[in-house]
Amino acid sequence: MINQQLDVPEKQETRDEMTRAGRTYVPQVDIYETKEGLWLWADMPGVDEESLNVHLDNGVLTIEGQVDVKEYENVTPLYTEYNVGNYVRRFTLSNDIDSDRIVARMQHGVLALEIPKAERAKPRRISVTQ
Amino acid sequence: MALFRVSSGFDPVGGLLTLQRELERVFDKPFGFDPGPSGRGVFPPVNVFADKDGYAIKVEIPGVAPENVEIQTEGRTLSISGKREVPPPTEGSFHRRERGTGQFSRSFQLPADVDTARAEASYKHGILTVRVPKKEEAKPRQIAVKAA
Repeated sequence: MINQQLDVPEKQETRDEMTRAGRTYVPQVDIYETKEGLWLWADMPGVDEESLNVHLDNGVLTIEGQVDVKEYENVTPLYTEYNVGNYVRRFTLSNDIDSDRIVARMQHGVLALEIPKAERAKPRRISVTQ
Repeated sequence: MALFRVSSGFDPVGGLLTLQRELERVFDKPFGFDPGPSGRGVFPPVNVFADKDGYAIKVEIPGVAPENVEIQTEGRTLSISGKREVPPPTEGSFHRRERGTGQFSRSFQLPADVDTARAEASYKHGILTVRVPKKEEAKPRQIAVKAA
C-alpha cells in the first residue's frame, strides 16, 4: 500500500505592511459554496480563540490570528522546516451575504467560517403558471 | 529557463527587455524572499528544538483530531503518522482548495542520549508537540568544588 505523500508549499509571507512585530503569513484556505451560503476553512495552527480576530468592513472580510511565541524563547532550534508567525488574509465579499449571521468557530487550529447568503441571493425556483 | 531568445531580426532592444523580464520573474518570487531550509513540499512540516532537559518535536497538523494521530517509538526511531480529512458539509462545490488532505507519515532518528520510554505527546491548537527527555546521565550536571 502506498502512502500518498502530500505536497504543502511553504508559508507565504504576507504582502501587507504590518504594524505588529514578528512575521505574518498567509494561511491556506478552502472555500466551499452551497445553496445556503459559503464555508471557509483556514489553517492557522497555534492560534486559539482569544487571539483570533475576524471582522467585516465595507465588504472586506479580514481574518487575523496571533500565535504565542513564548514557548520558543528558551529553546534552541536544531532542525526547522516551517516558520512560525501570525496569520492574516483578506477577502472581498459580495453584497449578497447576510453579514449579521456569520459564524466563526475555531478548533484544532482551523478556523471555520460560515457565511450565509442573504435571502434574496439564494437560488429560487420560479414555476411557470398556466 | 531561456535568458536569451534568438529572433529572426536583429533587435537589440527586444533582447534586453526579455532579459529584464526574465530577471524580474526570478527575483520577484510570489512566495517572498525567504527560501527556508529543506523539507519543502513534505507534509507535515516539522521543527525540532532542544533545551537542557530534552528535545521537542513540533508538527503542524491543523484540523487533525489527536485520536487520528499515531506516534510510535521503536528504539531510537520516532514515527508520527495519521490522516487528515477535510469532508465538505453538504452538496456544493469548492471555489478554492488550498489545504491538503490524505495520509501522512514521518519518522526521525533521535540522538542516542534520549530516553524514549518517557516521551510525551501533547496537541494544542493544531500543533503536536512530542517531548523526549534526555537520559539522566546525559543531562549537564554541575560538579561542586569541595573546599579542602
